[in-house]
Amino acid sequence: MDTSSFLIQQLINAIFLGSIFSLIALGYTMVYGIIQLINFAHGEMFTAGAFAGLIVLAGLQKVGFVDSHFIISMVLVFGLGMAYVAVLGVSIEQVAYKPLRNASRLAAILSALGMSIFLSNGMMLSQGVSDRGFPNALGWEGLKIMDAKISYGQVFIIILAFALMYGLWIFVTSTKLGKAMRATAQNKPMARMLGINVDKTIRVTFMIGPGLGAAAGIMVGMYYGSVRFDMGFIYMIKAFAAAILGGIGSIPGAMLGGMIIGFVEVGWSAFLPSEWKDVTTFVVMILVLYLKPSGLLGQSATEEKV
Amino acid sequence: MKKIGIFVLCIAVIACFSGIATAKTLKIGTMSPLTGPYAQDGTYILQGVKTAVKAFEASGGLPGYDKIEILAEDSACDGGKATMAANKLINSDVSAIIGCYCSSATLPSSIPVDEAGIVMLTPASTNEKITERGFKKFFRLPPRDDVQGWSAVKFMENSLKAKTVALIDDRQTYTVGLVDNIKRFAKETGKLEFVAHEHITPGDKDFTAILTSLKRLNPDVIYMSIYQPEGSLMARQVKQLEITSTLVTEDACFQPKFTEVGGAATEGIYLTFAAPVADNPVRSDFVKAYSKDWGVGENEIGSFSFFAYDAAMLVLEGVKKAGVEKLAETIRASKSLGATGEITFDEKGDRALAHAVWIVKDGAFVPYYNPLTDTMY
Repeated sequence: MDTSSFLIQQLINAIFLGSIFSLIALGYTMVYGIIQLINFAHGEMFTAGAFAGLIVLAGLQKVGFVDSHFIISMVLVFGLGMAYVAVLGVSIEQVAYKPLRNASRLAAILSALGMSIFLSNGMMLSQGVSDRGFPNALGWEGLKIMDAKISYGQVFIIILAFALMYGLWIFVTSTKLGKAMRATAQNKPMARMLGINVDKTIRVTFMIGPGLGAAAGIMVGMYYGSVRFDMGFIYMIKAFAAAILGGIGSIPGAMLGGMIIGFVEVGWSAFLPSEWKDVTTFVVMILVLYLKPSGLLGQSATEEKV
Repeated sequence: MKKIGIFVLCIAVIACFSGIATAKTLKIGTMSPLTGPYAQDGTYILQGVKTAVKAFEASGGLPGYDKIEILAEDSACDGGKATMAANKLINSDVSAIIGCYCSSATLPSSIPVDEAGIVMLTPASTNEKITERGFKKFFRLPPRDDVQGWSAVKFMENSLKAKTVALIDDRQTYTVGLVDNIKRFAKETGKLEFVAHEHITPGDKDFTAILTSLKRLNPDVIYMSIYQPEGSLMARQVKQLEITSTLVTEDACFQPKFTEVGGAATEGIYLTFAAPVADNPVRSDFVKAYSKDWGVGENEIGSFSFFAYDAAMLVLEGVKKAGVEKLAETIRASKSLGATGEITFDEKGDRALAHAVWIVKDGAFVPYYNPLTDTMY
């Protein structure tokens, strides 16, 4: 393997990893942006999505539908998985966060932590403690760029991740609901005064954020081939770092942060001793926060301004 | 009326306690990871012990005891949690402890057990340091990691004729200890050159960056000193990246989940594990009982269930023979046939077991190479 194929391969690895971190980070940043809450249960939403996707995919695989109708089954797997987690997200918001919306922020964070433990244990009890294999729907074949290889599965996942992020961007910038979301994030009382249904906007946020996390969960399960009830933890930490790095509350910031974390992780293990990989990720985060406390693309004043 | 009710309740409570006091119970503690990434292995161990107790009770039970109770604790593959679990079991007056899975949990948690003078048997921890500390009441069922490291080196040198090797570990006691052994034995002959030594984080899913670096180095062998969850994923990514190096791994990957999750990517991977045991009645009885108890196929039994079953049987037979007081002496002097072959212990509490190299063939583990005789199976 010559140096240029090596670099191309590592670039593919980094983009792949980065796009998954970005998708998860978006969930953090959207929820934080709108109600200033770190949703610690987000990692569990990611895992729940992976399990939902696994159940749908395994069912479709059993009747042989995946081989005959690949696209429709992918739409079903991602659609149902994301829909399930969107409903889960809204219910969690109603049960655990809405009653605490006017309480101290610490109470809401504790509620989020509790929810995270509750969901994680729930999945442990319902789905078992061990790894569950994911049906190999994506196959092993792929494209060759010199000596570097990108599998069709990776191509599919990267395209889907970018499509979801682009879709979100369009939604937030050019739809009425997206505008309401930004207004609610900036200033809740003012938004309410102008006739925006704040509760509804928050609910929509709690559908989209976890929904994107679920998509990432399905992607991880599908590509790496296994899911386990506690797999959300390590992704949660890294995506959280990505969201903070990019500036929590900022949607492009989360996308950028996720990519940076992906590139740092891959770049470090590619050229330097791999045992320092995780340390580096967080050192980069600390450095960025030291130089720019609000994150790369964050605004310094996310507090309510009235 | 209310007072009478309370009085009746008190009587009932006292009756309950005195009932427990008169019934003589043999308590056996188990420590294995029941949560976290290695929960599958921990469950295999617990199920092996439960099957042993059930089979033992069915064949007559313990004279002088009303029942045998298993106190299952979660060691979570973590030294701190395992030590807490050990103290809890000591305070519950267990007669013997079977555990843990991870060497990193067994090393610290066996210290309070030894101080309390309780017999401990590990069905899975293979780091050689565990039995090098002179504990008088500690026994190990599986073969040690210096045996495993030596076998892996002989296999890579003599059978694979490898020149260059890349090592991967996950910085835990067991995986690092094994890699150290491999380096030590390879140094003696000097035939192997280690071109890379990479480390992963347990729980990670993506190893493509490290594997791409190894693909560029193109070593003859990639030796994965990691546990099953990461092992399955790494095997898949090796196939995905079309790396041509031969994969060699170890006993932590030697369990049904490895091939189930890894799928086609695990075909042709070599593993070191205890040498195959000739079929004996104890083994076939265990296989039947286990698959019936837990509703699994006969080839879906975790590899460490066998050792856990033997450990529990040693305790039960030992207590039956000479009581709890002399359990350690009884086990040390015993010579018995178990599901994992002939069981005798040396001074340190180790068995004289050899390793073999196995290969994954059609999703099953098949014996492949005998490093002791340098022959194929």
